[in-house]
Amino acid sequence: MKKFWALLLTAAMTVSMLTGCGGSSQPAQADTAGNEAGSDSTGQTDTGDNAAQDIAADLDMSKTVKIGILVSDATTAEALAFRTYYTEYIQKQYNVEMIYSDELTDAAGETSAIDTFITNNCKAIISFSSFDRAAQIEQCEGAGVYYAVATGTLTDEEYETYKGYEHYVGAIGPSLDVEFETGYNMAKHYLDQGTTNFAIFGGAIPYYTEMHIYRAAGMITAMVEAGGDGASYQGAAVKDAIIGQIFADGEVKTGAIGNVNILGYVGGYDMDDAWFGKCAQMAQTTDLEVILAVGNGSDFFGTAIAGTDVKIASVDAYASSYGEAMEAGMLDYLAGKFSASIGPIFIATYRAALGAPIRTADGNALALSQGYWIAENVEDFGAYYAVDSSVESPAYTKDLLDTLLTADYATFENFVGKYSFAEIQNM
Amino acid sequence: MKTGKTNGLKRIVEIAGIPAAAFLIMVLLCGIQGVKLFEMEGNWILFFRAAASVMLTTFALSLNLNSGRFDFSIGSVALLSSVISASICTAAGLPTIVMLMISIIAGALLGAISGAVYVIVKLPPIIVSLGVALFYEGFAFSITKGYGVSFVANAELTSFPSVANYLLIIVCGLLLFIFLFDYTQFGYDYKALLSGQKVAVNTGIKEIPNAVGCYTIAGALMGVVGFISATNTGTIQMALNFGSIGTMFTAFLPMFIGGFIGRFCNEKIGYLLGAVTTAFISLMYARLNVDASVQQIVTALILVGFLIYLNNENKIIELVQLKKLMGKTGAEKGK
Amino acid sequence: MNKSKLKNYMMNLTPLFGLAALFAAFLILGTIRDINISYGLKSIINQSVVVAVVATGAVFIYTLGSFDISLGASAAVSALIGGMVYNRTESVFVMAAVCVGIAVLIGLFNSVLASVFNLPVFVTTIAMLSVLNALVLVLIKVNGTGSEIAIPAAAVKAINNTPFKIAVLLLFLLLSIFIFSFTKIGRMQKFQGSNPVCAKLSGVSEKKMAIIAFAMSGIGVGLGAFLSIIYAPTLTKNTASSVGMDVIIAIVFGGMPVSGGARSKIYAAVIGAFSMTLLSQIMVMFNLNSGIGQMVKAAIFLLVVFLATSDQRGKMLPR
Repeated sequence: MKKFWALLLTAAMTVSMLTGCGGSSQPAQADTAGNEAGSDSTGQTDTGDNAAQDIAADLDMSKTVKIGILVSDATTAEALAFRTYYTEYIQKQYNVEMIYSDELTDAAGETSAIDTFITNNCKAIISFSSFDRAAQIEQCEGAGVYYAVATGTLTDEEYETYKGYEHYVGAIGPSLDVEFETGYNMAKHYLDQGTTNFAIFGGAIPYYTEMHIYRAAGMITAMVEAGGDGASYQGAAVKDAIIGQIFADGEVKTGAIGNVNILGYVGGYDMDDAWFGKCAQMAQTTDLEVILAVGNGSDFFGTAIAGTDVKIASVDAYASSYGEAMEAGMLDYLAGKFSASIGPIFIATYRAALGAPIRTADGNALALSQGYWIAENVEDFGAYYAVDSSVESPAYTKDLLDTLLTADYATFENFVGKYSFAEIQNM
Repeated sequence: MKTGKTNGLKRIVEIAGIPAAAFLIMVLLCGIQGVKLFEMEGNWILFFRAAASVMLTTFALSLNLNSGRFDFSIGSVALLSSVISASICTAAGLPTIVMLMISIIAGALLGAISGAVYVIVKLPPIIVSLGVALFYEGFAFSITKGYGVSFVANAELTSFPSVANYLLIIVCGLLLFIFLFDYTQFGYDYKALLSGQKVAVNTGIKEIPNAVGCYTIAGALMGVVGFISATNTGTIQMALNFGSIGTMFTAFLPMFIGGFIGRFCNEKIGYLLGAVTTAFISLMYARLNVDASVQQIVTALILVGFLIYLNNENKIIELVQLKKLMGKTGAEKGK
Repeated sequence: MNKSKLKNYMMNLTPLFGLAALFAAFLILGTIRDINISYGLKSIINQSVVVAVVATGAVFIYTLGSFDISLGASAAVSALIGGMVYNRTESVFVMAAVCVGIAVLIGLFNSVLASVFNLPVFVTTIAMLSVLNALVLVLIKVNGTGSEIAIPAAAVKAINNTPFKIAVLLLFLLLSIFIFSFTKIGRMQKFQGSNPVCAKLSGVSEKKMAIIAFAMSGIGVGLGAFLSIIYAPTLTKNTASSVGMDVIIAIVFGGMPVSGGARSKIYAAVIGAFSMTLLSQIMVMFNLNSGIGQMVKAAIFLLVVFLATSDQRGKMLPR
C-alpha cells in the first residue's frame, strides 16, 4: 500500500508543481464577471483613454476569453516574436487568456490540439499551423468555436468553400502573391544595382512549402526580366510557368538565366554535416555576389561569407541577431514580418468571441493580405526593431487596435492594408 | 623478417583499409561527376570538423553503450552546454578558448547530473536518458526564452573553424580518451565492469563512481561537440520533444566500424577511423549535393551491410575460401 | 492470500494506481478550472488510442528484452501506403488491410534481417529508421501533391468516432492478452526475455520468438497507422513522427520493465498511453511555456516511473 500512497503523493506533488509553475503564466486579469459592467479591471495601461472605455462599454469584455493558439513552430525568431506580442502585450491589455499548443508536427497534432482547446473552453482558435487547414476549419465549425488564420491565407478554392462558415473568422497575412512580390523585390533590389551572380537558399522548397516556392519564383522572375532577350529559367519565362517548374522539380536548378546566373542552390533544413558542407561551399562559390534566402539566411551562411564581399538577403522577422548581422555586414537586406501584424486577426477573433464578428460586405469571412517591412540598411533595421520588439508600445498598440473593435469592414480592411512601417507610424 | 613485414603490411591494411577504401570510393564517385572531393578550403574544414565531431560523439555514445547504458541524452547535453557557454561568452565578451572550457565544464557537469540521477533512482539508463533529454531541452529553451543563442557577428567566437583547430581537438581528444581508459585505475575498473558487472562489483570495484565518471566524461565530450557545432555557424537552434537525439544516430556507423578496426589496434583509434570514414561520406554528399532522402538510405544500407559482414565474417570468409578451393580443384581437374 | 503475495499483487497494480491518480487530478483540476470534462475524456481517448495500440504490439518486442526505435517511421510508411491505396481503390477496408500488411511486412523484414544475418535486432531497427524516414519523403514526393498524401475526410468520417477506436483497441488488446497470457507463445516470450540461455537450452527458438514479436508489433503498428488516417486523413512527412518515442515512454510509464522477461505486462502499454495523455491534458490547464512545460513533464515522468518500478530494482545498477 506504500506504493499507492506514494503515487497519490506524486499526484499531489504533480498538482502542486504545476500550480507553482503555472501561477506566473496566468494572465494578470482574473475573471472579472463580478465587476461592474463596462469597468475594466484588466490592468490595462491605457485605461484613461475615453474612446477605449466607450468601446468597452459597447462590448461585454468583462469575462476572460480563452483563445487557443496553434503553432507548428516554437523556436524561430518569427514565431517567438509573435508569441511575445500575444503573451506579453495583447494578453495584458485585453481580458483574454492565450493557451498555446505544443510545437505541432502534423495534421493529427492539430486535431488533438484543437480538441484540447475545446476541452479547456476556448471560445476561439488562432492558427499558425497549416498541415490541414480544411480539417481545422471543419473541426472548429462542428464544435462551434471561432477559427482564424494568422500570417497566412487560404487558397482561393478553400476560401470559396469556407467563407460562409459561421465560425470561420478569416485569414490575415501575406498572400501567395505577396510572397511572390517579396522574392521579386528582393532580387530586383540587387539586379538594379547590376548584380548578376546569385545563389538561392530554398528553405522548405524540398518539402513543397508554398510560400517558399512563391518567394523563390519571385526571385527567378525578376532574374528572367533582367536577363535580357530570350532569358528563361529551365524554359519558363513567366510567373506561373516558373512556379510550376519549381513545383515539378522540388528544387531550384542552377544555371544561367540570360545574363544573370544562379551559381548555387541549397534547400532543406537537414542540419547535418553534409548540409552545412553544402551551405559553406555554396557561400564560397567563385564570383558569387549575393545569396537570396527564402527564409533565414544569415544564420546559415553568415560565418561562411565573413571576410568576403558576398551579401545575404533574408526573409524572416525582426530579431536582435539580425541587427547584429546587419551591423557586421553579413545581412544586407531583410524582408521581415512585424510581430504586431497579428494584432488585427486577434481583434477579429476577439470580436467574434464577444458576439460581434466582422464580415465582408457580402457577409463572408475575412481574407486580407499583409506584407513585410523591408530593411535595406542598419538604420532601417534599428528603427523597425525598436518598435517591433517593444512590449510597451508595439507597432499596433491597444489604442490602435481598439479602433477596430467596432470598425466596419471597410475601415478594418483599410487598417490592415496600411501595413508599412511609415503608414503605421502615421496612424 | 619477410614475415614480419608482411604481417605489418597486413595489419596496416586491416586498420586503415576501411577509411582508405571509403576515400577511394568517394573520390571515384566524385570523379565520375567531374567533381574533386577536396577542392576548396571549406571542404577540408568540413572533413575535419565532421571527423572531430563524430569521433567525440562516438566516444561518448560507446562509453556508456558498451556498458549496456543506452543514452538518448547526449545530444541534449551538447545543446545545453553550448547554450550555457555561448550565453556567458557573448554576454561577457570572452574569447573562444574560454567558451571551449566552459562548454567542457558545463558538459561534464550535465553528464555528472545525468549519471547521478541514474545511480540514485536506479532506473534503467534508457529511461533516465529520456527524462534527462527532455529536461535539458526544456532548460535550454527556457534560459534562452526559445530564441537559442546567436553570435554570427561575433568574429572572435566564429573564428574557431579551421583545419588546425579541429586537428588539435582530434589529437587531444584521442590521447586523453586513451589515457583515461587505458592507463588509469578508472579505466581498468571500467573494463572490469564492462566484462562482468557482477564479478567486478563482488571483487570490490565501486560501480557507482565509475558509472557517474563515465557519464561525466561523456558529458565533457559532448560539451566539445556542442562547442564545435555552435562555432560552426554562430547560432544554436533550440530543440524540443526529443529534437536533440538525432546527434546520437551519427555515431552508430563509426562505432561499429571502430569496433571492427579495434580488433587490430586500440579501439579508440578504431573509432577515430570510423569517424574519418563517415566524414569522407559526408563530404561526398556535400560535394555531389546528394538529396537528404538518398543520404539516409545510403547511410542505412552501409550500416546494415557492414553489420552483416561483421556478424557473418567467418561464414563469408569460409564461403570465399570454399570458392577458391573449388576453383583450384576445378583447375586441377582441367589439367 | 499471504502478505508477500498481496504485496506483489499491489506492486503489479501500481501503474494502474498512477493512472487513477492522474485521472483524479484531471477531474479535480478540470472541475476547478471549469473545463469541459466530458469532451476532454473523448479527446483523451482520441489522443491515446494510436499510441496505445502501437505500444501494445510493441510489448511483445520489449518482453524479449529488445526494442524497436523505428515504430513511428513504420507507422508513417504504412499510413502513407494505406492512403495511396485508398486513393486508388476507394475502399477503407482495403486501406486498413494494406496498413496492417505493410507494417507486418516491415516488422518481419526487421526480424528476418536480424535472424538471417545474426544482427542485433535493435541495430536493424536503427537502420530501418533511416530507410523508412527516407521512404516517407520519397512516397510523398512521388505519390502526393509534393507535401502530403491526403484522402477525403468524408471517406473515414463514419468510423472517426470513439466507439470504433475503442473497439479496435479492445480487440487488439484482447488478442494480445490471449497470446501473451494464455498461450505457449506468450510464456516462451517471457522465458526468452528472462533468461535467453536457459530458453535456448530448453528449445525455445530465439529467431522464432523474434519473428512472432515483430509480427505482433507489426499488427499494432498497422492498426495504429489506420487509426491515424481516420483521425487525420492528411498525411505529411512528419505523420506519426512522435509515435516512436511516445511508445517507449508509454510502455515504461505503464510499468513495463525495459529488460523484458517474466514481469512484462501486456496492459502496461494502454495504461502508459492514457497516463501520458492525461498528464499532457493536466499540463495544458496550467498553460506553461514550452520549455518549462517540458521540464515539468520530464520530472514527473521520472518520478512516476521511479515509483511504479520500485519493486524492480536490484542491488546493482540496472543496464
